[in-house]
Amino acid sequence: MSTIMLVDDSATILLSISSILTKAGYTVEKAANAEEALKKFNAGVKINLLITDLNMPGMNGIELIKEVRKLSPYKFVPILFLTTESQQSRKLEAKAAGASGWIVKPATADELLNTIKLVIR
Amino acid sequence: MDELTSVYIQESREQLAEMEAGLLRLEQNPDDHDNINGIFRAAHTIKGGAGVVECSFIVTFTHLVENLLDSLRNGDIAVSAPLATLLLECCDHMGSLVDVLAAQLPEPADDAMARGNALTVRLKDILHTDKGQKTAANGATASGASLTVHDEVGEVESSGGGVVNTDSWHISVRFGRDVLRGGMDPLSFIRYLGSLGEIIGIETIADAIPAAAEMDPESCYLGFEIRLQTKASKADIENVFNFVSDECELRILPPHSNVADYIRLIKELPEDSMRLGEMLVRSGALTQTEVDQGLLTQHVSAATAQVSDQPLPPLGEILVENKVVHKELVEAAIAKQTQVGEKKAHDAQLVRVHADKLDQLIDLVGELVIAGASANLLAQKSKNGDLAEATSVLSRLVESIRDSALQLRMVQIGDTFTRFNRVVRDVSKDLGKEIELVISGAETELDKTVVEKIGDPLMHLVRNSLDHGIEPVAVRLERGKPACGRVSLNAFHDSGIIVIQVSDDGGGLNRERIRAKAIERELIQPGDTLTDKEMINLIFEPGFSTVEKVSNLSGRGVGMDVVRRNIQSLRGTVEVTSSEGQGSTFTIRLPLTLAIIDGFLVGIEKASYVIPLDSVVECIEHKNLTGDRNFLNLRGEALPFVRLREMFETEGEVPARESIVVVQFAGHRAGIVVDQLMGEFQTVIKPLGRMFANLRGIGGSTILGSGEVALILDVAALVKIVTRKEEERLLPNKNATSFSSLASTSSALQSGR
Repeated sequence: MSTIMLVDDSATILLSISSILTKAGYTVEKAANAEEALKKFNAGVKINLLITDLNMPGMNGIELIKEVRKLSPYKFVPILFLTTESQQSRKLEAKAAGASGWIVKPATADELLNTIKLVIR
Repeated sequence: MDELTSVYIQESREQLAEMEAGLLRLEQNPDDHDNINGIFRAAHTIKGGAGVVECSFIVTFTHLVENLLDSLRNGDIAVSAPLATLLLECCDHMGSLVDVLAAQLPEPADDAMARGNALTVRLKDILHTDKGQKTAANGATASGASLTVHDEVGEVESSGGGVVNTDSWHISVRFGRDVLRGGMDPLSFIRYLGSLGEIIGIETIADAIPAAAEMDPESCYLGFEIRLQTKASKADIENVFNFVSDECELRILPPHSNVADYIRLIKELPEDSMRLGEMLVRSGALTQTEVDQGLLTQHVSAATAQVSDQPLPPLGEILVENKVVHKELVEAAIAKQTQVGEKKAHDAQLVRVHADKLDQLIDLVGELVIAGASANLLAQKSKNGDLAEATSVLSRLVESIRDSALQLRMVQIGDTFTRFNRVVRDVSKDLGKEIELVISGAETELDKTVVEKIGDPLMHLVRNSLDHGIEPVAVRLERGKPACGRVSLNAFHDSGIIVIQVSDDGGGLNRERIRAKAIERELIQPGDTLTDKEMINLIFEPGFSTVEKVSNLSGRGVGMDVVRRNIQSLRGTVEVTSSEGQGSTFTIRLPLTLAIIDGFLVGIEKASYVIPLDSVVECIEHKNLTGDRNFLNLRGEALPFVRLREMFETEGEVPARESIVVVQFAGHRAGIVVDQLMGEFQTVIKPLGRMFANLRGIGGSTILGSGEVALILDVAALVKIVTRKEEERLLPNKNATSFSSLASTSSALQSGR
């Protein structure tokens, strides 16, 4: 089954999303910020999908997406970002940075899993 | 309470603290974008989490706050003092809502509800006035973000052709070049479409692939014509392509569309019409006749309508268009980035651990230290070299483990200090004084338990400084001081203890008033001579208050004596220095940790005592110093000393050679005369029972490796006893026994003699 890296500075979101994913049978790699995630990427963690929050202290999600796209093993890995309805401009920005798509918060378990199914097998 | 909720509650409290700190900074730096972003993020995280734990009352309220912060962030409204006050109140209210959730109540109590409603009205007022200016600007951007999806429109129906007899959708998609680079696999869309219904026919359009030499293998050149049988709506199908809607050409024809619609679709697509027609036929969407007829009709009607027969835009042109879009996106991204600016230094990586687990670990480490000491002792007795070596390695490791374990409990005092920003802001407004708070040493670490318990005494001292210390503006100006008063909080390490200072540049303590009050309260006798230091430290005596009028700030029935008692219960001390007209400084000294100390083991007859190693300065030999002199000449300075043998009434012969351990506390040195020096020793402090709580000179007990009990000396109290006794002896006319709490200590000990 696929491995999903989840990056969010909110412990609540990390816990809730990862429990949904784990229940659905995915393996979840968690990171509380972009720096931690990058460290894992640089260490060569194997993932099928990256889900990241955009608004994080330190390096934000868009910078993270750009950095990940620079790493050759992750050039084509699907990346979803967490967003809210209101952030249309951020969506475009994140897409330009190399994101594949987004998940609108708060998402139900079904919405979340359906979106993931759209980008990975 | 489930785990998620408790994580949420803890997280929200942290976020609220950050939000509050941010709001306080907001007034000083209204243009600090990072700060506003930080505040917004905190509110956003709280709201997001509340949605996850399904706590609707937090979501509803925080949503409004977030909206307001968003307007602030976008520069739609300006920062003002009333706005900051409102936001701070909202922050408080959110805190109380989190408390409601923590208390597992279904909804806030009525008064909290009322407060929330009042805040809601005020928030909406601001948002409402703001909205009018904003909508005009927003309208433009909203229309800009249109999708390339084409709706089925009726206007072409007139151009002829019957309804295509099919019950399936036709989806025509041309992916943008960057789809692969965006981490999307075209196949995944098709696979997902398959989950909506059944794909009856599919044709791959690879016309856009250039010659091999020019082809970029990372770009996507593909398009698909898909026939899909599904009950899903058009919106559902569009949603599948939502993520790439900006960069791909998508056309969707519902079942039973007119042939004309198909033809229009063919015309609009970049590929050659005839070839597309073939494709549609092959995919089974249309029959060949329908295509032929359709193309013909379309052509004729176009000609008759004299519409200029523009050549269809080649794919390249569309790509150029795409690129234009991208250029804008990149520019937007860069603009946003410059706003983000410097990163905040908040990226320490944290693991949340329940405090109980830590305490348990510390307890175990404490036992380990004792057991290690015991093993060490046995190994030394056995005279087995290998064993001694092995145990010494072991004890070194135990020492490291102890240090690391204790380090886990260490937290920075900064958070406790920052809380006072708010207090100072609110109180100074209430009092009509101008006061700034200066914080230094926020990174100083001390034991979590100490940090938790020091909050109240500190609060009292700070409020005292605000209320009684800092003078009203008029008085300050008269005295030639700046109008804005200054209260500072400082923390630093000093030889194994933590020193926390609360100082103000206010009026200082009035000696005469203190004296008068002390006499009135019968704390001292009119004839007593007191040093300046003793005089001002009278304020810590029970029942002492120099202010006639009890204000609601520092006069809540809690006096300075309670402050001192609280600090003493942490094995700490507090004292005040003050110069009249220039301000006062309260100095709190606290042990680094409450659990384990490095001790220096000494013996008298068979009893062992532990002196905290941090306070030991040196050890000297004491040869036949008889007589009643209780001080000696140590390199030119008088060193008062105390004989533990006498103090604790140990019976037996005084050995010919005694040793003096020189200890230091708060700048005073004193000697402790003991029989034997037994060396350094790690020790776990076991508190004394309640019965012994008032015993001075002894701070606790510990268990030695041999299983014996040793008492831990309270150096602070001992040093004071020693210096006081010498002063009394040398200045016999000074009646000092009636006022100080130390007096009771020393008399208690003396009476035992």
